[in-house]
Amino acid sequence: MEYILKNGIVVDPVNKINCEKKDILIKDNKITDKVSSKAKIIDVTGKLVMPGGVDIHSHIAGPKLSVGRLYRPEDTRRGIKKCSEIDGFEAGYSLPTCPTTGYRYTRMGYTTVTEAAVPPLEAKHAHEEINYIPNLDIPTLVLFGNNWFVLKFVKNNDIKNLALFLSKWLKLAKGYGVKVVNPCGSEAWGWGKNVHGLDDPAPFWDVTGREVIHALTQANEMLGLPHSVHVHTNDLGHPGNYHTTLETFEAVKDIKKNKNVKRDQILHGTHLQFHAYDGTSWRDVTSAAGYLSDYINKHDHISCDIGQITFDETTTMTADAPMEYDLYKLTGLKWANKDIEVETSSGLIPSIYSKKAPVSTLQWAIGLELFLGINNPWKLVLTTDSPNAGPFIRYPRIISWLMSSKKRDDMLDNEVHNWAYNRTDLGTFDRAYSWEEIAIITRSASSKILGLNDRGHLSVGAKADIAVYDIDVDDFDPTLKENSSIIENKLLNSLYTIKNGEILVNHGKIIKLVDSNHLWCNVKGNEVQEEKLIKNIKPDFNKFYTVQYANYKVPDSFVKPEERYDVNTKIKE
Amino acid sequence: MTDSKPITDFDRIIENCACSYCGNNCDDITYLIKDNHIVGVRNACRIGASKVISDQDQRLKNPMIRNKEGILEEVSWTKAIDETVKVLKESMRPVMYGWGETSVEAIKEGLKIAMKIGAVIDNQSTICHGSTIQAFQNIGHPVLTLGETKNRADMIIYAGTNPMEDHPRHMTRYTAFPEGLFRPNGRKDRFVMTWDPRYSNTAKCSDKWVKYNHDEDYAFLTALRMAVNNHKLNKKVIAGISAEEIYKIADQMKNVECGSLYFGLGLTQTLAKQRNIDILIQLVQDLNKYTKWAMLPMRGFFNVNGFNMIMTSITGYPYGVDFARGYPRYMIGETTTIDLLNRKEPDVFMAVSTDPGIQFPGQTLKHLIDIPVIQIDTHWGPLTELADIVIPSTRIGVETCGTSYRMDSVPIYMKKIIDKPENCKSDEEIFNMILNKLGGKN
Amino acid sequence: MKTITLKSIKYSRIPLEFDDIIPENIYNWNKSDFQKYKVYIGNTKKFITDYFSIDIKGSANNPNECTIVIDTNGQKIKYIGLNMEFGKIIVNGDADLHVGAQMKSGYIRVNGNAESYTAREMTGGTLEITGDVKEYCGSSYIGQWRGMSGGKIIVKGNAGKQLADCMVGGEIFIGKNVDILAGIHMVNGFIQINGDLGKWPAGQIKNGTILVKGHVDELLEGFILKEIITNPLINNDYVFGRYLCFTGDLSVKGKANIWINASKNKHLLE
Repeated sequence: MEYILKNGIVVDPVNKINCEKKDILIKDNKITDKVSSKAKIIDVTGKLVMPGGVDIHSHIAGPKLSVGRLYRPEDTRRGIKKCSEIDGFEAGYSLPTCPTTGYRYTRMGYTTVTEAAVPPLEAKHAHEEINYIPNLDIPTLVLFGNNWFVLKFVKNNDIKNLALFLSKWLKLAKGYGVKVVNPCGSEAWGWGKNVHGLDDPAPFWDVTGREVIHALTQANEMLGLPHSVHVHTNDLGHPGNYHTTLETFEAVKDIKKNKNVKRDQILHGTHLQFHAYDGTSWRDVTSAAGYLSDYINKHDHISCDIGQITFDETTTMTADAPMEYDLYKLTGLKWANKDIEVETSSGLIPSIYSKKAPVSTLQWAIGLELFLGINNPWKLVLTTDSPNAGPFIRYPRIISWLMSSKKRDDMLDNEVHNWAYNRTDLGTFDRAYSWEEIAIITRSASSKILGLNDRGHLSVGAKADIAVYDIDVDDFDPTLKENSSIIENKLLNSLYTIKNGEILVNHGKIIKLVDSNHLWCNVKGNEVQEEKLIKNIKPDFNKFYTVQYANYKVPDSFVKPEERYDVNTKIKE
Repeated sequence: MTDSKPITDFDRIIENCACSYCGNNCDDITYLIKDNHIVGVRNACRIGASKVISDQDQRLKNPMIRNKEGILEEVSWTKAIDETVKVLKESMRPVMYGWGETSVEAIKEGLKIAMKIGAVIDNQSTICHGSTIQAFQNIGHPVLTLGETKNRADMIIYAGTNPMEDHPRHMTRYTAFPEGLFRPNGRKDRFVMTWDPRYSNTAKCSDKWVKYNHDEDYAFLTALRMAVNNHKLNKKVIAGISAEEIYKIADQMKNVECGSLYFGLGLTQTLAKQRNIDILIQLVQDLNKYTKWAMLPMRGFFNVNGFNMIMTSITGYPYGVDFARGYPRYMIGETTTIDLLNRKEPDVFMAVSTDPGIQFPGQTLKHLIDIPVIQIDTHWGPLTELADIVIPSTRIGVETCGTSYRMDSVPIYMKKIIDKPENCKSDEEIFNMILNKLGGKN
Repeated sequence: MKTITLKSIKYSRIPLEFDDIIPENIYNWNKSDFQKYKVYIGNTKKFITDYFSIDIKGSANNPNECTIVIDTNGQKIKYIGLNMEFGKIIVNGDADLHVGAQMKSGYIRVNGNAESYTAREMTGGTLEITGDVKEYCGSSYIGQWRGMSGGKIIVKGNAGKQLADCMVGGEIFIGKNVDILAGIHMVNGFIQINGDLGKWPAGQIKNGTILVKGHVDELLEGFILKEIITNPLINNDYVFGRYLCFTGDLSVKGKANIWINASKNKHLLE
């Protein structure tokens, strides 16, 4: 099919197009500069046109989600709605069902969503769930930070074999990138313990988080994977943890970025808000957002996403299982945990973020401080670590906060607990995001940081993933606080969402469902060495795991349709 | 098997196959094949092996419909499917039950039918670990994969379950006996305890057997939890166990490096039902203040857990999902099969890869006499005697490939080993045929 | 005032679902509105007039002036008074599952028995049942840790298992006996039981009051005898006789009081 998106107001930061009237031409699944006379014209005069949204960190498929849905039927019940013949029904609020996840993201104009934590042993399950999610491109990040084989290689400082292991395991799990969660801490949870800080070793292993992060970053750059290591640093959610966060950033500074990659960072620090606390306890906790913003403003080897609190009753879920048990001890709400052999642990607990609660508002304000304090929007991405800090359907609301300092001030004055004002600098910011900056932090920066260079922009030849919103850019003032609910509503229900050149949403309604693509990364050129590695580790594999190596991998039939990213890196023997 | 000579007469070996018997889903099975027959099975337990080898007895081989005289007669596939579709279309309260012994690929197609016709779709959880799921939903869900026990656990407790008889390789392959990274001497490095009113075979090979009074699990577990939390017990004897003994057990549990607790229907089906599991979860949650503990239900059929997984993925609810209004509803006691049948609501009953004839109470089965019953299964069984339409299907992991979920939710891809009987079709195919005839999208 | 009487005239084995039939939805309906209305039954919808005769008397300007009378005639009807906020519903006959569930205000009376999940997650209003109720009366939805939070349930007969599971507030009065496992995970609220109470009540109870005038089978570990009082004042009323006051559940640092008739429960003092 051919389309002309006519007379839209285009925001395309990669091409330095900032709210210009422009036609976008589409042929088949790409953006083009020429279409035939048969092209269908879609009149979007005056409306906001952006590349399709790209989420760098969300939890949408895999074992944690299944545990969450299984044990929170009351959450499923909250979002139940009958829909049209095409989409059937929606169910779930913080834990939407797989189809619902697809519907809601598509309606928001998102076309690519990263599943941020997949244990390889259950990767089949994650890919199976992706098969039930419609309309998205889904890269998966594979958990490596507490994997026993990784710990062993790190202990022996064997970066070459570590790189081969990552390369092989991404193939087995059909994963896109390397995720590290509370390195050594989730392993310590196998004994009911945690590690504190970067230099506290995992029991029995005598390996520290610092060593794991350093080694994995080296291996990641040795392979030249499109995305950098994606790190959930130690000490999440503990007052005073910003020291650990900064130390982590410093710890990898010496590592050289692979020459072939187009991203700038070598480490992506995820949901930074949860890692930006000063103080010694929840009584004297204050914001450390300033220190982190400063560091990121001064250094180019780090990118981040925020994990913004949205004041919802949601579900927290993470591979940082000891942290979830700490939360259970604090709140007493129903606690779920799943330990996965050899690879990781994970935990879940319902969480209620309230505007009246001091800690919730502090967290909310810290997130916004980071958004406003990091000057270069290309270094940060809008996320809620969905559903941890809030469900992803709150992204539009966050955008409305970012675009209007008046709205934020109003909330500080009238809605939220005074900790937000007294313990952070949020009140001092009068910065308001422009549409261009919004486009950067929701699509362009995330694509670049992920290394998905075929999207996040509207250049000729780019993937035809486009979102059009029913906002008359020239006649609409997003800085007014009265307009924030309008922004939210318009961004929740796109006028058009186009993916791969197909119109999936028309006027806020889903009109078509397509299968989601599984994005995974295939490092080529080391097959012989990888087989040798497998031969060496197989005795341990059979001893540690309760499944056969032959049955461990994700069969090809699970990843249809796939989008494979081939990387040609030959590791020296 | 052990008392017979090794099998030498075979022409093909297939290794690393997954067993289609219990929730262990052992994936290290070797099948010996000759002339499209499985003539030998290696590594599997006796039940798993015998289930595959002597599988052709009483096999359903052709579709059948009960005629006016009340006799089942063989019919064509078209006729059987047409009749099924007609019955389903006319139905106001259809129930689609079973699914424990088929693949998630088939369940996914079946679910599409349920959504399309507004049926209740439910599985064996409703009669076994449904109470466990209910307790998970109310209290929490601290679970593990089996390898955590294998590598770390120095104490293993079996509560109200007898794996030596119903999950024969559980102790040998996954928990008590194997060597793990931190337990290099296997069984010698572990303490095994069984809580059971009966002296079961599992109790026999445990280091300690805790006998408590039948139906008093809730009192026992509450007292144990009190003891773990350093509270004084009021009574001298609780549920048939002395207070001293309870203190001792609590002490033992707190002083391990890593404990795993496996429980079965012995807890879920006694007097306090899901409250037994409720208190057990709280016990595990409390123990984690002192050391590491996790728990896991001993799921029965090899893919009974897979049904729960796929249902939560797509509908948000684990079992007993009612699509009467086009969106899912879930209420134990209202949308669960036994209760529906006891309330005489269903007007069509479809059983897929299961035999309610041997699973359901008699009074519940009575209602099936009054309504059309469709059986989709591999073997002739008690339900066949009640069924009005019988559709022959194939065996997952033997004749058809497919995915199942082990009791700890680790997905296992099960291979196809031999060809299916000529006139049988896989569950997936059958549901596709029904869906096509029902009309509408796939 | 307006009275709308629905009388069952045709039996269906599959229960009808009455979640729409609450005063706020139908107080201004006339006969022809009913003739247009279809009620859920199984996976279809049928005209309500096929199953019920409709009689309307008087008029109402707001839902509070509306009373709905349902003569069940043996018909199973689910969700009577679901989410109800105004007016009255009178059920003559037995009510099926979920009567008064999530009720916010108003009044429901069942002249007969009620099935399970009666007044599940009720937040206000009054529900009276002249017969018995089954399991999970005044409880929470599965997975929800906040159950009934307000209002009043009066049952003249017996109550089934797991009464008031996760109850957060409100009052429940049971005229006769209650089955096992009542008040589990209760956070607050008041329950009065005039008859006997089955074993293991109030596990993990945090706060609130339970008064039992009859016999109690067995208390869990976690409850200790705090005091024995003659004619105690409980829930603003004097109760005559000697009462044992147990407190617990200690396992969750609970401070609830369970008052139990001393003369009928000597075994608890052993």
